[in-house]
Amino acid sequence: MSTSTGGGGGDDDDDSPDLVCQLDCIQGMVDALSSVRWKRHQDAVIELSEHGIVLIVEESGCLQAKVYLKRELFISYNYGAEGRPRFGLSLGLLVDCLNIFSAPGNASVIEIQYPCPDMQLLLKSVGSPDSCLYAEIRTRIPDTISWDYHFEQAGNVPPTFTVKSAILKEAIDDLDWPGSSIQIIMQPDPPMVTFRGEGHGDLQIEFPYYANTDLLIAFQCDRHISSRYKYKFLRATTSNFPSSVLKENRSSKVTIGRGGMLKIQHLVSVAKPAALNHYADVQPSRIAYIEFFVKPEEDETHSYD
Amino acid sequence: MELSMSGNALKTFNRCITCLARVGSELVFQASPSKLELHTLNASRSAYQSISFTPAFFDTYTVSSSPGSSDSSPDPLQCSVLLKAVLSVLRTPAASVDSLAVTLLSAEAAKIQFSLHCLHGLKKTYWITCNSEPEIQRLSLERSNFPSSLVVRPKDLSRLLSNFQSSLHEITIIATEPANGPPDVIGDIGDNNDAKLHTQLWIDPVEEFLQYSHIGNPVDVTFGVKEIKAFLAFCEGCEVDIHLFFEKAGELVLFLKLSISHTFYYFLFVPVLLAPRFGLDDGSSSDFDANLVLATMLVSQLVEGINRDQHSLPTDGPARARKKEPGEPSHTPTGAENASAHTKIWSDLTGTAARNSQNSRENVVQQEQQRNPINSAQDVAQDLNVNAQCKTAGLQNTDNLPQRMETDQAVEPQEFGGNHHSQHHPSNWVGPEDDDGDEDDEELFVQSTPDYN
Repeated sequence: MSTSTGGGGGDDDDDSPDLVCQLDCIQGMVDALSSVRWKRHQDAVIELSEHGIVLIVEESGCLQAKVYLKRELFISYNYGAEGRPRFGLSLGLLVDCLNIFSAPGNASVIEIQYPCPDMQLLLKSVGSPDSCLYAEIRTRIPDTISWDYHFEQAGNVPPTFTVKSAILKEAIDDLDWPGSSIQIIMQPDPPMVTFRGEGHGDLQIEFPYYANTDLLIAFQCDRHISSRYKYKFLRATTSNFPSSVLKENRSSKVTIGRGGMLKIQHLVSVAKPAALNHYADVQPSRIAYIEFFVKPEEDETHSYD
Repeated sequence: MELSMSGNALKTFNRCITCLARVGSELVFQASPSKLELHTLNASRSAYQSISFTPAFFDTYTVSSSPGSSDSSPDPLQCSVLLKAVLSVLRTPAASVDSLAVTLLSAEAAKIQFSLHCLHGLKKTYWITCNSEPEIQRLSLERSNFPSSLVVRPKDLSRLLSNFQSSLHEITIIATEPANGPPDVIGDIGDNNDAKLHTQLWIDPVEEFLQYSHIGNPVDVTFGVKEIKAFLAFCEGCEVDIHLFFEKAGELVLFLKLSISHTFYYFLFVPVLLAPRFGLDDGSSSDFDANLVLATMLVSQLVEGINRDQHSLPTDGPARARKKEPGEPSHTPTGAENASAHTKIWSDLTGTAARNSQNSRENVVQQEQQRNPINSAQDVAQDLNVNAQCKTAGLQNTDNLPQRMETDQAVEPQEFGGNHHSQHHPSNWVGPEDDDGDEDDEELFVQSTPDYN
């Protein structure tokens, strides 16, 4: 299918849509977008560029999540805008719509187009000569400028560790019991990461670097660091992993930036199901990047610059 | 106290905690150098479970005597925690845990520490707050005090229990001497005086139980089902059989002494004891042991009529006449708590005559209950004999409809003249012409076996 434009022809540049792209792995896109869906109703901001699509969600100024869908994920990606158009829409609505397209029996390729004459986002199933599924989602001007969490490195050696996503999720799920506020501590000697929660009971989970080579895949830290985060925000970072993350044994990278800002990065594959069988063969370009930023709780005094 | 465990012991410990959590909400640890005991009591004080571990169960086990106690009989170190909290600790699947260590520094310690070393290197340490004013229970039972007992495999028991509706609260076991006939298990569901469904199950101990011993008059015990099911799941997981000890209602009485905030409460109840059965002999050859004590109704469901019935049983000889036998009232005492006031229990009569007669079930059945004046005052209830489906049909009037009676017999003890053992044999069905004499009796009652036409 050619990437024909929807509305008025390609003659007038002003009328041609900013973006027309086609995607063949809808389930992967649903997985990637669902992993940042921690509430039923969430407003998202989508930013288009020639590099790809970025979807941003945030909550109460303390938690922000970004999903990067690079242009290489799409079968075709025609970007015709100047600058980077941004628009807002409901994340839940987008995911639910995509789910309809990904239902078995439907054509497996969809075309996404923005904007349509009324600034809608258009989803269209292509590839089937007999029928066409068609969805228009209303967009709005994002009223709050998305809070760009300035993530700055803390010092020359940014404290960071990489751990299996499944283990990180297990640890955060266990911390549900004490709940409330969770303290993350990194220390160089002995190299270890500790999650601590105190409530009607206390729980401490330690990730010792030397315990097991599989546990902390990477660890970098040159001084004692500790900050506190609200449990519900921490939980949102791992609560909605798609099953592919656990099946493919993905890893997550956690970094603590200046001011105690927490950055957690996940990888979600957006490959066709057939390709998922070969774990090692999933090409890097068929991966969506998910980033979570969690602000620390204010009352903690940070033990570094 | 410090202990650690791993592997299968950890899995067993998980099962113990799960079972205890289904019974009560507070867990009491009592640690002494010779054993560790965990027990719990349920909210309505009708079930008490205790599980004890010998030091051999654990990888390491050290208990220092509490200060101030003499060396010869040290007080056990005790503390009490919420079972929900312990369940949270054991959320991590046992398969991914390398070892679990429990530490309690002293009797006055505010928290008890659980450390989990996981296979992938994580170390999780939980500190659970000890209840400041624990309920400490003291209860000890001698199994030899119980005259009657049976041993059954958990799978078999759960299969038998599945014949009863899942919303059952209480169940009655009526045990008769093996020679006289199979015992019964009866379930009543519904509120107090308004039991809508009555299920009765005849069990042949030879077929269903590994061991059964009961001497003397039939006895019955009634107790709650919920804790039985928890114990069943526990024994099934540990792959041990269940040993159930019981005594006639009202005979053996236990005092449970409960101390809460330095106040002592005494509960009086008639117990039924369940325990896992390790090995062939009664001596447990395992390094842990469990006791589940259930309170039973103080009053028997069987009545004095039973004794009379016993005498009237033919132990040998001819088929019983079809005619009704007058004067065999059997009613449940009205004072009993959840007694099914409408149950007339014929159970003890069933097997005997059946066994001895050529014509299977014609014998006993037709005993028409004389209206007991007390019962007449009570509500009409519907009794249906359910054959493993436990379906409630509409309220029926015996006057109008032929009763369909199907007995749910586990296995026939003997063949009656060859091929009469099918449940669907016509002899099971009471034809319209047999529906006699009930017109004046509005109550439905359970007939043990229907008349054979």
